Amino acid sequence: MSGKKRVIRRLESMRPLRAKVDQSYMDSVKAMQEGKPVAWCMFNVWIGDVILKAMDIVAVYPENYGAVCAAFGAAEKYLNLADSDGIPSHVCGYSRNCLGYAIRMFKELNGQIPPEAPLGGMAKPVLLLASSTGCDPRYKWFQLLGRYMDVPIWTLDTPTPSTIEHIMDEKYGEQVIRFMTKDLKEFVKFLEKLLGKKMDWAKLDEIINATIEIHRVWFEVNELRKAVPCPMHSRDFWSAMPPALFLAGDPRESVKLYQDLYKEVKYRVDNGIGAIPEEKYRLMFSELPPWHSLGFFEDLAERGWNFVIESWSYHPPIPLSKDLLEKIEDPLERIVRHFYQFITGYARETIKMGIKCYSFSAPYLVWAKDYKVDGAMLHPLITCRAATSHLYEMGEMLMRVFKVPSLVVEGDIVDLRVFNAEDALRKAEAFEETMQHYKDERKKAGLGW
Amino acid sequence: MSESVKGFKFVDEVCKNPIKKVKELKEKTGRKIMGYICAYPPIEMLTAANVIPYRVFGDVNEPITEGDRVLPPVICSYVRSIVDLSIKGKFNFLDGVIWSHSCDCMHKGGFVYTSIVGKPEPYVLEIPTTVREGTIDVFKYELSEFKKWLENFAGKEISMEELKEAIEKHNKQRFLVRKLYELRQQDPPLISGVETLKVISVVEALPVEEGNKVLEEVIDEAKKRKDKPKKQRARLLIWGSIIDSPALLQMIEEAGANIVMDDTCVCSRQFWLHSQDPSIKTTGDLIENLARSYLLENKCPRIYLGSYGDLKKDYKKDLEERFGYLKDYIENWKVNGVIIHSLRCCDVHGYEVPQVKDYLSMLGVPSIYIEPEYDAKSLPPLRTRIEAFLETIS
Repeated sequence: MSGKKRVIRRLESMRPLRAKVDQSYMDSVKAMQEGKPVAWCMFNVWIGDVILKAMDIVAVYPENYGAVCAAFGAAEKYLNLADSDGIPSHVCGYSRNCLGYAIRMFKELNGQIPPEAPLGGMAKPVLLLASSTGCDPRYKWFQLLGRYMDVPIWTLDTPTPSTIEHIMDEKYGEQVIRFMTKDLKEFVKFLEKLLGKKMDWAKLDEIINATIEIHRVWFEVNELRKAVPCPMHSRDFWSAMPPALFLAGDPRESVKLYQDLYKEVKYRVDNGIGAIPEEKYRLMFSELPPWHSLGFFEDLAERGWNFVIESWSYHPPIPLSKDLLEKIEDPLERIVRHFYQFITGYARETIKMGIKCYSFSAPYLVWAKDYKVDGAMLHPLITCRAATSHLYEMGEMLMRVFKVPSLVVEGDIVDLRVFNAEDALRKAEAFEETMQHYKDERKKAGLGW
Repeated sequence: MSESVKGFKFVDEVCKNPIKKVKELKEKTGRKIMGYICAYPPIEMLTAANVIPYRVFGDVNEPITEGDRVLPPVICSYVRSIVDLSIKGKFNFLDGVIWSHSCDCMHKGGFVYTSIVGKPEPYVLEIPTTVREGTIDVFKYELSEFKKWLENFAGKEISMEELKEAIEKHNKQRFLVRKLYELRQQDPPLISGVETLKVISVVEALPVEEGNKVLEEVIDEAKKRKDKPKKQRARLLIWGSIIDSPALLQMIEEAGANIVMDDTCVCSRQFWLHSQDPSIKTTGDLIENLARSYLLENKCPRIYLGSYGDLKKDYKKDLEERFGYLKDYIENWKVNGVIIHSLRCCDVHGYEVPQVKDYLSMLGVPSIYIEPEYDAKSLPPLRTRIEAFLETIS
């Protein structure tokens, strides 16, 4: 997109938040050089991250690094290495990138960081922190890394309600919370043994409180996006999310950055400033964006497409009440309840709306109405089942319940060749008529937008 | 079907149309029928509730059309096939169906089934990922919840005496299935891989007592019959994703191999408990016994097995802990080659593939990896590779 006019009005307060990602990779390399512990972590909905931070373990996220390698054009080398070492090509693209990186690092370079690795590379870990939340690769992938490095592994087991009744059942939730809180205590004991140092519980308490506060402010920022015109585009959401999603940086410092973001977005709302010059259509995006082709959204913005809400799994939970959180003395229980709210919060809202849907589609059914969306762009990924499984269901439910149409644009998280921006733009042009048609249909049905 | 049709003949007849047989049973007995899709739901509870457990299969010969409307192609074709057949009404004879968190595709397939299909009535069973005391408690709670739902579904309470009796019947079935598999230890085996799958699939469509009767008849007949399988150039074990249709096994056996053992979901994994006493205990807390056996002793790769929470990791030790049972299979069934089978888009098996291969290499057993779709049309191109593999090991 270089040289092309930029249409999306980017937020200035997003920039220091985005910079935290680059910084986190540099920190990991520096930590390794200084002999400090580094962990490779799966996205774990914060329950493990806060513990690592309190124990001064520098965390890097191979999932995120997969996106970095894709964006820097470095993924192909690692994918080829994974292929040639017998890793099936149908498994998660991020994992294949990471396994290829590990092959390069441990089989070819004897544990040294590959010189070509973007952002300084991922440092050698002393721990692998897996998670069972969201998808199978989050624990199977790290188990397979054992083939290349003899590094201890811990898996955060997060059983979650799988029926509508259990989602709504407080007693069920309490037994999950009890189990997970106890399990996190075991994890702390394990780390204390691994590192030969004690947990600083006061520091953990501060980090957990700061994390929950970041999410509360981040949630409020996204609430502001319900305004018409929408003041913040999805591109800014994705750029600003790492300190909230991966807790990049120190959460105690990041709170202020999100407060600055809130102020800037609020200013836009108060002054009727949209994220694009002329908002004709309000869109949702599901799920992971085409990291390597984000300029595509500029072309759509030129056509009046404003992306007002997106990527549920990158969002914070609907905040729990401060009163409830303050009553919880054990910080681990506090972060577990926050986790449980993330997993079940939107599904509960959808069920309350009388919709029998509790998959990853649920948040979008809540948002479609609240954000007055005209359409959804669905982005099935050829190797990510977790971010793709619900998309067709979501398309069907959005139409069935709210007469909101969907546009399917295929892609992948690391394989650039699958996403065809020109073809997607052609489809988008035709989709405008569809959105217009259903705008009328919604009015006829008295749906309110 | 006449009452006098027994053993292999009975199996062949039922295999042609198992649904017809189950519908007849339903009509005759008035019992409800509950479908289940993986090896984790404790079917003992269904038997105790006077409900007939019915293992739901996909159909490799039926093109997925409706299923593709609600589940993207990145979801494993086995799950898409089941959703497809459900939308098309093929499972309307069932009164309910148990989905489970056996893997990501199955879990999310269950969610999509609930919102889009809805009938027969679904239940999605949650299963922890790791095995330790805390997760056994979680699974025990989950099974207690499932029992409550089942009692409501069946319209009757399940007494501990009924549950004990049901566990005993299913333990007998586990014992008989092992006896059936022992017939394959001989050279040549007394029963082929295709025949084994057919027998098991019929057993999984019948009430446990009738299934046990079929197993006894088949075992007896296999020992006596003259037209037993011929000795082939290789004795194979097939490991991996679900195989619920004989098409793949038939192609391999026709290529010149005896499939003498399997480690797949519909067959051995459904019945094998990897403990010293290969049966579920019938004393003490029965729900806990079920939770322990199903969670600890089922070797499906969806469970995180192996080194866990150790300060030092050792890859070879890890492989031994996870796949050591394969060594017993290989020795006792005199296996000289392994087919590693993962359906495309099956993550839990896909990640395991390089590691199973490493373990087999440690044992000096040759293996080949195949990755078909759940579709009969994807099989013929594999034949040449299988033949080449048999050539190298024989």
